[in-house]
Amino acid sequence: MKSINLTLKVWRQERGSDKGRFETYDATGISTDMSFLEMLDVVNERLTLEGKEPIAFDHDCREGICGMCGAMVNGYAHGHESGTTLCQLHMRHFSDGDTIVIEPWRSRAFKVVKDLVVDRSAFDKIIQEGGYISVNTGGAPDGNTIPVPQDVAEKAMDAASCIGCGACVAACPNGSAMLFVGAKISQFALLPQGRPEAKDRVLAMLNMHDELGFGNCSNERECEARCPKNISIVNIARMNREFIKAALLSE
Amino acid sequence: MQLDAKIPGGPLAEKWDRHRFELKLVSPANKKKFNIIVVGTGLAGGAASASLAELGYNVKTFCIQDSPRRAHSIAAQGGINAAKNYQNDGDSVWRLFYDTIKGGDFRAREANVYRLAQLSVNIIDQCVAQGVPFARDYGGLLANRSFGGAQVSRTFYAKGQTGQQLLLGAYGALSRQIKAGKVTMFPRREMMDLVVINGRARGIVTRHLITGEIETHAADAVVLCSGGYGNLFYLSTNAMSSNVSAAFRAYKRGAFFANPCFVQIHPTCIPVHGHYQSKLTLMSESLRNDGRVWVPKKPGDRRPPAEIPEEERDYYLENKYPSFGNLVPRDVASRNAKEQCDMGKGVGETGLAVYLDFSDAIARDGRKAIEKKYGNLFQMYEKITGENPYETPMKIYPAVHYTMGGLWVDYNLMSNLEGLFVLGEANFSDHGANRLGASALMQGLADGYFIIPYTIGGYLAGTVLEQVSTDHPEFVDAVSGVKERIDRLLKTNGHRTADEFHRQLGKILWDYCGMARNDEGLAKARQMVTELHQEFLEDVVIPGSAGDFNQSLEKAARIEDFFEFAPVMIDDALSRRESCGCHFNEAFQTEENEAKRDDEHGCHVAVWEYAGQNEPPVLHREPLVFENVELTQRSYK
Amino acid sequence: MQLVLRIIRTSIGKKLLMAFTGLCFCCFLVIHLAGNLSVYGGADTFNSYVNHLHSLGVLVHIAELALLVLAIVHIVTGTVLFIENLRARPVRYSVTRRSGGRTWGSATMPYTGFLILVFLVCHISWFIYAGREYQTVYQILTGLFSNPVVILLYCAAVLVVALHISHGFWSLFQTFGLNHNAYMPAIRALGIIFAVIVAMGFGTIPLYLGL
Ligand SMILES: Cc1cc2nc3c(=O)[nH]c(=O)nc-3n(C[C@H](O)[C@H](O)[C@H](O)COP(=O)(O)OP(=O)(O)OC[C@H]3O[C@@H](n4cnc5c(N)ncnc54)[C@H](O)[C@@H]3O)c2cc1C
Ligand code: FES
Repeated sequence: MKSINLTLKVWRQERGSDKGRFETYDATGISTDMSFLEMLDVVNERLTLEGKEPIAFDHDCREGICGMCGAMVNGYAHGHESGTTLCQLHMRHFSDGDTIVIEPWRSRAFKVVKDLVVDRSAFDKIIQEGGYISVNTGGAPDGNTIPVPQDVAEKAMDAASCIGCGACVAACPNGSAMLFVGAKISQFALLPQGRPEAKDRVLAMLNMHDELGFGNCSNERECEARCPKNISIVNIARMNREFIKAALLSE
Repeated sequence: MQLDAKIPGGPLAEKWDRHRFELKLVSPANKKKFNIIVVGTGLAGGAASASLAELGYNVKTFCIQDSPRRAHSIAAQGGINAAKNYQNDGDSVWRLFYDTIKGGDFRAREANVYRLAQLSVNIIDQCVAQGVPFARDYGGLLANRSFGGAQVSRTFYAKGQTGQQLLLGAYGALSRQIKAGKVTMFPRREMMDLVVINGRARGIVTRHLITGEIETHAADAVVLCSGGYGNLFYLSTNAMSSNVSAAFRAYKRGAFFANPCFVQIHPTCIPVHGHYQSKLTLMSESLRNDGRVWVPKKPGDRRPPAEIPEEERDYYLENKYPSFGNLVPRDVASRNAKEQCDMGKGVGETGLAVYLDFSDAIARDGRKAIEKKYGNLFQMYEKITGENPYETPMKIYPAVHYTMGGLWVDYNLMSNLEGLFVLGEANFSDHGANRLGASALMQGLADGYFIIPYTIGGYLAGTVLEQVSTDHPEFVDAVSGVKERIDRLLKTNGHRTADEFHRQLGKILWDYCGMARNDEGLAKARQMVTELHQEFLEDVVIPGSAGDFNQSLEKAARIEDFFEFAPVMIDDALSRRESCGCHFNEAFQTEENEAKRDDEHGCHVAVWEYAGQNEPPVLHREPLVFENVELTQRSYK
Repeated sequence: MQLVLRIIRTSIGKKLLMAFTGLCFCCFLVIHLAGNLSVYGGADTFNSYVNHLHSLGVLVHIAELALLVLAIVHIVTGTVLFIENLRARPVRYSVTRRSGGRTWGSATMPYTGFLILVFLVCHISWFIYAGREYQTVYQILTGLFSNPVVILLYCAAVLVVALHISHGFWSLFQTFGLNHNAYMPAIRALGIIFAVIVAMGFGTIPLYLGL
């Protein structure tokens, strides 16, 4: 097992209303088998024993699926490895003596709560506008009455694999959430079950997206490059088609 | 004390229909007069909140995470069972029922399990209608796979992210009700106490995790869907915020805790590799369909796997269980891995791992085929360990995964405390002493979508509930209790972090109350836990304040509950004088080292009642009656 | 009315405006380039092309007006988007890196757009104030491009246009929703080829005339 020493420059901010600043910490004797969050755990354990407040960061599943973790690591959302969440980023991808700058997601729609923790409730608000199919419990027909071609089901699944971590917004030079919205719109646009509400869904979700202060997509493709689930911007194009159909072509 | 499970009469297959007919109804106009609290937004909580709100109840829903979509259910990989028999391979409600009862080593209620198997069918329909992108066959119909050793293909799946997709379905339904104003969502809230008034659950006390504010909420019923407590062991496959606190606080308020020692240990996880480790990652069970498990025959053999010739390898599962081979149930597979490692045959740096080898499967089906089936799992393995499983065998070891134990509930999913309903992993109801793969998702959704909407109505319609507000002395008391507790924790100002204590507690439980237990070890563990708890009270250090976003405080409070809960679990393990399912007491085993049940004395649910701080809890027994299945010794030879 | 509002108010609506006007400019560039290439036919060919164009009379004015409207829409919308996007991230990162999505073309769109505007103003005013009464357009051109500084500036401007196109071309397909895994690589390649053609096509003319 190899171990390395690092210097961390971490954004510290007591609460949303405070002005934050960077603090520098040494992270010594870090095993290269650790995940990035485990490295922060080690630093936090030391800070705690020194009587200081540990660095606050969101995390839960620690296996790349809940979407809770995330921070900018040296300018990359979730760090430089592709297709990875912060909790799945391992220290073997860093070298002894590296300096690592860690900042929270920055967006007008995501306010900093503390240190690296941000408020992503904007995503929930977008989903509430129509990121679902309106069926009540009970009374659904047999699952096999609606066949879905295999490749369509797979495309819908790829779009649906979004974990809502917010890396797309964080990485977008414009702070846009179009990949997040596009993925959800796509999932339901592809599936026959989603068609009846397609028009209202795309208009309502996009309205909310704009209202919350996210930026505009200018096809920079940084979101796609940083998405831990490799969700493609083809989904944004599909959403644009849905928008054109709903806003311009329908009666 | 007689525990009444309220199981309806009549033939097994008709009980649920009959019960639904007999349950009282709340008229549509009256539903909006009732307030219901739901704690948790996993499959159980999400489904319950949405379904209850659709019916017209006013629902308040709480979760720890910043969004309801992140509940731990999101992590489930493999799939969800349903007795659809789409594959025409002989499945039926009865077979799913029987497999579940048998898999649970005959320690679950027949009536509950049968209902679960019946409802499994509706779950799939509901989820498809919600747009859950299940895997499809070429013809566009739903695909199935066989999972967890079942002999029929009844598992529905969405890539390796079934839990995520089902949860997003429930989250969508919940979001729709939030938009409609029928659900008020409280994220980043932790339930700190249950408020019981006149013997009925009437509200909760929560802590706002960002501002630290202590809040109170009153309601006509409380539905607890707070998940399992596997994190008690520190290292587990569960998410970091999985905890026992909500359930344990209810227990301290009088709700009974059932079978706390039934903890499932999953055989295929990535092994531990260091002290700092915070989490064990599950590798889907489906890997055992093609991987072969082996260890070197010679103890202490440290050669790399490629240098160990075929005849010096011990494919112990295939040798010992010729008919099931690598596909034996989870508890059997786990125990055998431990046995091999205890004999010194374990591999890897720590000697606590066995190989899961795909080279034969790759030689047989080609790398392409294996990649198609397991590509993302192999990738995940490589990401974490830095080793390429196409070239060198995976290393796996068992890890704590699921808790069958939980709050005791009757057939209506109501605890002995009236008005407190418990759903999902938080209750004890359906999996006996061992849960079969792909059936937790099924249970959570059955509870939330299809059971609670009926049974809660029966309770509300049949009960006279006085008006209660949060000014009630019980609320005031509960709030000051919570505040005192937080102050006390913060004031301790010792020298060791909460995590350090948690790590030690977990290690004690893993060593003595894990895969194999014995009376001596359990007694020792009991002692060690008590001592460590005392040290925790005196020496823990928690920086920061109560009125802030304070993750150290959150953690410490949960760990304190683990400390108080662990002795109950150990007592339960000690008091069960048999081995069954996941509970393996070395004193009770067959000649072939399999768990040996004692159906004469062990055929019961062990139900624990809180008797006061520093008092030993009181054990009650709910006898299990089997009228429809014959109790047999499980055999996977 | 609702339709107009939807386009002006929404983020995708604004992008559609950018894409549509951008598409029009791409078409315009093709025609413009085709015309300009008549320079290689010599003074007579080129002057007859110019005269032919002017003989169209009112049609030319309509086209000019249309281009002006398109330009205003493109510029105003672009400016609004630029400001909105700046505001979407009030606190900037201290370290920013690219992950392979962003290109020089995409990163500089607002700035290249601004430079193109400046260039256009110069370009048009040269011709308005050049005194077309006493010399042919061909003469004006050769006169202008006898100055190496002008050549340099013109070529630089053409490169800026090409850079703008290198992102704008494929981007407008994406915005119209015309992104398909099978065709997108071809569209992106076409965008680059188009940018190169524009750069070469326009850029070689001053060199040919001036040197
Ligand atoms: C890695 C992994 C893979 C799995 N794979 C499968 C599988 O393939 N098939 C299968 O059937 N099962 C699987 N399971 C099991 C299954 O995922 C869980 O048992 C199930 O999802 C539990 O759902 P739940 O709704 O009961 O609780 P959870 O999803 O755990 O939700 C608990 C909720 O309660 C909230 N909560 C907890 N405490 C409090 C508190 N004090 N205050 C407020 N809120 C609180 C949490 O915020 C959360 O919202 C897997 C489990 C794991 C760990
Ligand atoms: S902690 Fe869940 S995705 Fe990283």
